[in-house]
Order: sequence, then C-alpha cells, then structure tokens
Amino acid sequence: MKRTFLGEFEELVLLTVAVLEEEAYGVSVAQELEKKTGRSVGFSTVHTTLQRLEEKGYLSSQMGGATAERGGRRKRFFAVTTFGRKALREAKQVREELWNALSPNALQLMGN
Amino acid sequence: MGPRTSAPDPQPPKWAGRLLTFLGDPETAEELAGDLLEMYAYWLETGSKARANRRYIWNALKLIRPFSRRKRANPYPNPHSLTPAMIQNHFTIAFRNLFKSKGHSLINISGLAVGMSCAILIFLAVRHETSYDLHQSHIDRIYRVETENIKENQTYPGTYTGMANALRTDMPEAETVAPLLKIGGSTMAVGEHRFRESYVYADAGIFKTFDYQWISGSPADALTQPNTIVLTRRYAEKYFGTTDATGKNIRLDNKQDLTVAGVVEDYPATSSFPFDMIVSFPTLKNVNPDYDQNRWNGWNDNFQVFVLLKKGTRPEQLIGRFAGVVKKYMGKEALDHKRFKLAHLSTIHYSGNLGGRSANVSLLKTLSLIGALVLLIACFNFINLSTAQAFKRAKEVGIRKAIGSNRQSLVYQFLTEAGLITLLAAAGALILSVLALPSLAAALAIPLTASDLFTAETALFSVILLIVTTLLAGVYPALRLSGMAPIWALKNNVAVQAGQWFSMRQGLVVVQFTVSLVLISCAMLINRQLDFFRHADLGFNQSAIITVGLPDNKPEKLQALRDNVLRSPQVKDASYSFNSASAESNWMQSMEYRQRPEVVQVKTQMKMGDAHFLDTYGIRLLAGEPLKDSDTTHSKILVNEIFLGRIGITQPAQAVGERIYYGDGDQFATITGVVKNFNVNSLHQKIDPTVIQVVPDNYFQLGVKLQSERPTAASVQTALSHIEKAWTAAFPDQVFEYSFLDETLAQAYQSETRTARLIEVATFFAVLIACMGLFGLATFTAEQRTKEIGVRKVLGASVGSIIGLLSKDFLKLVVIAFLIASPIAWYAMDVWLEHFEFKIRIAWWMFPAAGILMTAIAMLTVGFQSVRAARLDPVRSLRSE
Repeated sequence: MKRTFLGEFEELVLLTVAVLEEEAYGVSVAQELEKKTGRSVGFSTVHTTLQRLEEKGYLSSQMGGATAERGGRRKRFFAVTTFGRKALREAKQVREELWNALSPNALQLMGN
Repeated sequence: MGPRTSAPDPQPPKWAGRLLTFLGDPETAEELAGDLLEMYAYWLETGSKARANRRYIWNALKLIRPFSRRKRANPYPNPHSLTPAMIQNHFTIAFRNLFKSKGHSLINISGLAVGMSCAILIFLAVRHETSYDLHQSHIDRIYRVETENIKENQTYPGTYTGMANALRTDMPEAETVAPLLKIGGSTMAVGEHRFRESYVYADAGIFKTFDYQWISGSPADALTQPNTIVLTRRYAEKYFGTTDATGKNIRLDNKQDLTVAGVVEDYPATSSFPFDMIVSFPTLKNVNPDYDQNRWNGWNDNFQVFVLLKKGTRPEQLIGRFAGVVKKYMGKEALDHKRFKLAHLSTIHYSGNLGGRSANVSLLKTLSLIGALVLLIACFNFINLSTAQAFKRAKEVGIRKAIGSNRQSLVYQFLTEAGLITLLAAAGALILSVLALPSLAAALAIPLTASDLFTAETALFSVILLIVTTLLAGVYPALRLSGMAPIWALKNNVAVQAGQWFSMRQGLVVVQFTVSLVLISCAMLINRQLDFFRHADLGFNQSAIITVGLPDNKPEKLQALRDNVLRSPQVKDASYSFNSASAESNWMQSMEYRQRPEVVQVKTQMKMGDAHFLDTYGIRLLAGEPLKDSDTTHSKILVNEIFLGRIGITQPAQAVGERIYYGDGDQFATITGVVKNFNVNSLHQKIDPTVIQVVPDNYFQLGVKLQSERPTAASVQTALSHIEKAWTAAFPDQVFEYSFLDETLAQAYQSETRTARLIEVATFFAVLIACMGLFGLATFTAEQRTKEIGVRKVLGASVGSIIGLLSKDFLKLVVIAFLIASPIAWYAMDVWLEHFEFKIRIAWWMFPAAGILMTAIAMLTVGFQSVRAARLDPVRSLRSE
C-alpha cells in the first residue's frame, strides 16, 4: 500500500478540513487555522498545501455554486477522502501510542 | 467558522490580481481570485490597509506559476499550432511537396530567384547612388554656391571666379571657402613617364572643408605656396612607386615643375570629389597668367565654390548677403537677372558636379519599377500554380481538418511551403546576383563590386525581401487552400470550385502578359529611336573622321602640322576648329541684326574653324562663298538656315552681304555664305542658329577626314600612326590622344543605350518568367482534362481541334493583355520621346507587332503541352477508370 508521509502542517490543514466539514475552502481553512493555532498563517501556504493534499489523494474537491460575494467567483470546497481519514487516524494512533508509552513521571516533568 | 461576507470599500491592488490571472494556474484562477478577495477583507479587519495590501500582494505573487507549480496534467491539452513538432512536420510536408511536383517547384524557384536577384541588384544600385558624400563629417554644413540666371530660369553649378574672394571678405558666416577649378586634360610627367591627366586647382580650404587623411605632409601649409601639388595614395604610387613622395617633382605640360606637398588617402567610391591630383591655386599665375581670379563677367561650370557654414547658420539667412555680393561686384542692375543660391552637399550628386558622375534618377526609378514588376510576375506564378493545384492538396487538407487541424495551422503549413521555396530562390538569387553584378555595374556605369553585395545592409534587405516575397506569394494560396470545406475536400468532386478560382488566375495571367507586352513594345520603340540616332542625317558626315586635341595653337606650328598630316595618302582633308561640327560643349553668343525697324537678337552658337571646316565635315554651302584662312579679322562669317530664319531672310542668296553685330557693340561681321542646317547639338536638342568664322586663337582640335568612307582597320592604323608622328613632331613631350568622331557623338546617347539594354534584359526575364508560369498552367490544364480529351478523341475529334481547344483559353488572355498594354506602352513611350527634339513617330503597327510576337511566344509555350495532350492515346487516358 502506498504510504505517504504526512507533514505537521499538512496534518493540521487536513484536520481543519475535517473539522469544517461542508464549509472547508481556502479562506475558511486559513482563518480557522489562525484562530485555533493563534499563529499567522500565509494564505498562499494554505492554498498550496490544500492542492498538494488533493494531489496526494487525502482530499477531494469540487467547485461550489456561484456566490453573490467575492465578485461572483465560485469556491472550491474540499472534503477528506477515505484515504485521508485513514491517514489522520494513523497519525492520531501514532501519537496516542507514544503518549501512552510516556511514563507518568515524565509527563509531570513536562508541566501542566 | 463561516466565510466573511461582503468586501468593505477598500479594494486590493488591481495589478496583483491581474498578474495572478495572467500568470497563475488557469485551473485554480477563479477560486483563488475569490479566496484572495475574501482574505483581503479579513486582513483589513485584523490589521491596517497597508498591511492588508502587502499581504495580498505577497500572497498573490507567491501563487504565480513558477512558484506554485501546476498540480495536475491537463486531460485535454490546448492544441497550439506552432509547437516544435508541428514546425518540423510543416517542413517535412513542404519538402515532400517540393519533390513531388519538381516541375512546378523549378518554375517557382527559378522565377522567384530571378525576381529577387533583380530586386537585390537594383537595391545595390540605388543604395550606391543615394550614398554619395554622406561620409563627409561636416556634411550638414557644406554647401555649393550656384549661379541662377533668373531670366532663363536656370541654375548652374559653376560661378564667377571672384566668388571665392568675395565670400572670404563679405560673408562672415562662412567658416571656410573651397574654390575648385577642374582642368580637363594636361600632360603630367616624371622623367620620361608622361600621362594625360585631369586635375583640380584648389587651396588649403579644400582640406578644411572636406575630410582628408594625410599619409605625408600636413593640411595646414599644403597648397598655400605656388607650384605645389597634393596626390592621392594611388597616384603617388603611379608616379613614384611609393607613397613617400613629398618633395618630389612632377612637370606640368612641359612648362612648370610642381613639388609634391603631401599625399592623402584615396577617396571612397561614393565621393563627388574624385581628385587624384590637387594643384595649388597660386600655381595658376605661372601656368596661365591670363586667368582672372576676380572675374565677374561670364562663368564656367568647371569652377565651383564650396563653403562650410559656421555652426547654426542656415542657408536661408544668407540671401541678403548674396544680394549684397551681386550689388557690390556686379552692380545694382545685375540684381534682376543674377542670383546666387546655396545647394546642400548631399544634393550635388543629382546634378552636374566636378566628379563627372551624377545619378540618373529617372533611370533608377524606371529600373526599380521594372524590378518590382519582374518580382511580382514571379510571385503571380507561385500563386497561380499553387491555387491551380489545389485539388491535389484537397484530400490532405480535408484529412488534416477532419482529424482536428484548425485553419491557422494549415495557413502556417502553406506559408512554410512558400517560405521554403522563397528561401531556395533566395539562395539562387544570391548566386545570380554575384554573376550578374559585373555586367550590371558596367551597363549602369556604377562602380559596384562583389564586396558591396556582402554587407550587413544587403543581408538585411535580403531578409526583408525574403519575408515580403513569402507573404506576397504565399498568403493568398494559403488562405484559399486552408479555407476548403473538409466535406468538399474529401469528396472526390474537384471541378465544382475550380471555375471560381479560374477567374483570379486569369486576372493574374493577364497582368503578367500586360507587363510583358508593355516591356516588349517599349524595347521595340526605344531600339527604333536608337536606330534613328545612329542613322539620322545630321547634315554633315561623321564617319571616318579622327579628332586630335591641340595643346598649343601658334599659327606656324599648325601650318606645319597640317601640311605634315596631309602627306599621308589615307588622309583626304584636315581642319582646325574650336570643336567638331557637333559637340557636347559649345560657345553661345548673342548676335544682333539691325536692318529691321526692330533690332533682332539671336542667341547663336559660334563655330570657329578654318577654310577646310566645311569640306572636312561635309557641310553643304547653299549660297555665297566659303571662308578663307585669311578672313581672321572677325569680319566674315557663314550662317546656317535657322539663323536666316531668325533674322527673317527666306532666300539664302539674299543674306550674302548682310551685317551682323556682335552683341550690342559696334563690331560687326558680314555674311559671305549660307550653309545647310547641320545638327550642332545632339539629337536631343534643336539646331541652334549657327555662325562659322575663322578665329585661329580658338582652335583647339584637329579634325582629320580619311580618304575612304569605310576605312579598313589597317588603313586606319596607318593613318593614325602617321598623324601621331606628325603631331608628336609638332608637340614634343606631350601625350598624343585621338578619338573617332562617330564614337564621340554616340556617347551623347549613352544614357538611352543603357536604358535600352536594361529594358531588353528586363523584358527577356519578364517574358521568360511569365512563360514558365504559363507553361506550368498549361501542363496543369492538360493533365486535368486528360479524360475529356480522351473522350473527345474517341468520339472523333481531330488533333488540331483539341490543340485549338486547349490553346483558346490562353489566347484569349493574351488578347485582353494586348488591349490593356498598348495604351500604357503608347503613353509611356510618348513621355519618353518628349526628351528628344528629333524623334521617330510612334506607328500604330508597332503594338500589334508586339502583340503578335507575344502571342507567338505564348502559343509556343502552350502548344507544346497541348500537342502532347492531344496526341495522347485515348486508350491510355481512359483506362484508369
């Protein structure tokens, strides 16, 4: 099976798309990311990442209907594919396993 | 989180958005533009406008394609017709077609090669003629002082000898003044080496006005001293074998030694000042003490004055100055009839100048027109042959269109074919040009060499010519062929549209034949006029006369020389005179007849000759008595019939004894005889009223009439060596030069002879190319109608009727061309003949003659194919179906 490495930012973007469900498109993903992470996210970076994720098969996209705002231009909505969900789960699983393997002491040392 | 709605008033920088539309990935362009707009609104809310703008631009730039690569391969690529693969394919197909129809390709390539070669050669000639003196670094400020005779409304390039000094004292605007006096022929000698040379007198002004590069000597003091000379490199080598000639001596006319003051670099071919020997003006006092350098009555075109105006002075500002000069030196009354003008240096190549070469503008124009026409005829061949063959390409075009080729791509393909043929033609044109250049240079008397052909300018012109020719020849066929409907093209039905194209082809063929016919008619007429020049009755006998110049005319020397010359059995008579019975340069004088109530003024040509003048030149005396050598007191003259007509005397006998006054003075001469009119000028001009008188001081040539009217080469040789011996005995240390009168006179028609030769060559090529095209068309028609001819033959048509059938169409075109061409040729020749006072009549039969000639040529061309088609065995032509 094709196993593609999911980068940290890619994982965040993929997750955000999953969170936004039906409303995931470039702008909403970028703004949501900024809000949630509190760091300034370049829109172009988000756009390229979305494109790349689609190319890798984690995301699928389709054009929405015509809009009244933004000069009547349509939006490209993204949705997580099965393959994408699997990748997310795998990433989560890896992290959980690692967290679980962590001794309580070590956890305390790391602070709250 | 939902999307933000409605953008606030401020708008993002438009250019960034536009940039993204152009350079961004077209697939995501729409959503990106929208997304960015929304983000902009968001950035405006969260920060300043400047920051929002910055972020907008930055993000837009980062999304431009080189930075954000295209994500997916396009499943439906946009076909582009000029991909390398397609271009390669165009060339492959073009080459295949070239070889498939070799005959047509050959016709096209050779025709276009001749046409382009004409264009290139004419470009060279025009370029040469228009680049005279442009190399002079002060060209924008150099002018020639010209003299205008207001009453005659004529401007002369020469001026009064006093002009040089007048300009120096009365015209502060002149930075330098360069007077030049050209001397026709003198003997220059170094030791025993003698040469007959022409040279100029000049002062140091010539070196300050014009560009000279010094090999030895210096411009500052050269030509300031008497008896000094400056040579070009070529001449220093000719006389001394070295350029290091400064300080050496050259002897002028065996009476004055000239010291070489310097040697300058050779002048370029495009110089109006091709002087190899420049002698200082002060020398003139020693050589010709009578020459008045401050003369204000009468001038000569051999003396010309050039000025270099100070920076910022315009010639119009100097009108007043020149009026002042006229008033000061010639008197107030001269203002009405004399005026001086400044002619810019760049214009003097188009009128008389001291260099002796001037551009024949009308010949160049005619030549350019003919060149363009020949090229056009060749292009028409291409158009005709391509469109005629359209049916052969129909399948190809149909298939190409059916599998998705667009029209543009087909146009490119056909243009590639035209371009390929033109390119091959251009290569041929280059070879032709190299071969033809020497003969063209000789025919036009333009000093052009092969090195002129291989310059950047010629290359650029050739490239432009290549492109223009390709488009001229290729665009129409490309548009026609690519415009075929695929269904029609694929159906095997060719005859339908052929009819429509035929008219266009007919038109082009008619144009070709019209041009050919006009050229043939003109060539015929020009040759008849030249023939007329050669055989016209001039009123005197020009054959078997040898003329020799006289360096000196002391009476005792002349008497001895004549006696000596007449001793030869080959010599019939000999006469001393000012010039020949007909000559290029003449002496005009105003004469008055006062026997009428009103004084009659006659502008008269003066012929000065001895008692043998009439006999030597075969001029007939109508009344009175001939002159005697003793009639030197200016009192006896002979006049011609025209002169009589001007003074109102009808009977020659009545004129004898009448008094004719020289100008408005008291001196007069008596008419002792009347001669029959003879052409004192070339046949371009009317016969002037003429007076013959005996003036030994003005004898400058010896005319020797031989015994035989048509002497053999051997007897001419004997006579010449005898004359040379006698002449050298009379004038030792001089160079003997002779010429034949009929040859000298023929030079007056050189320009017409040149025009005739060029038009003949052009006619030949125009007819040749047109016929090649016709041949191609005839081949095509015969091929196309093979079946028809077969059927006709089976049904009993004779070979003759089939030849008639095939030739009829082409004959019709020749007839139409004839109807158009004749009036054009008539008009053109009428304009041309205006130049001549003595000319042939344009006879009506010349045009049908040209027409019949053209028809015969066309019939021969078409006939070959027709006969072949008519004689084809019908079994063979009908079998294939």
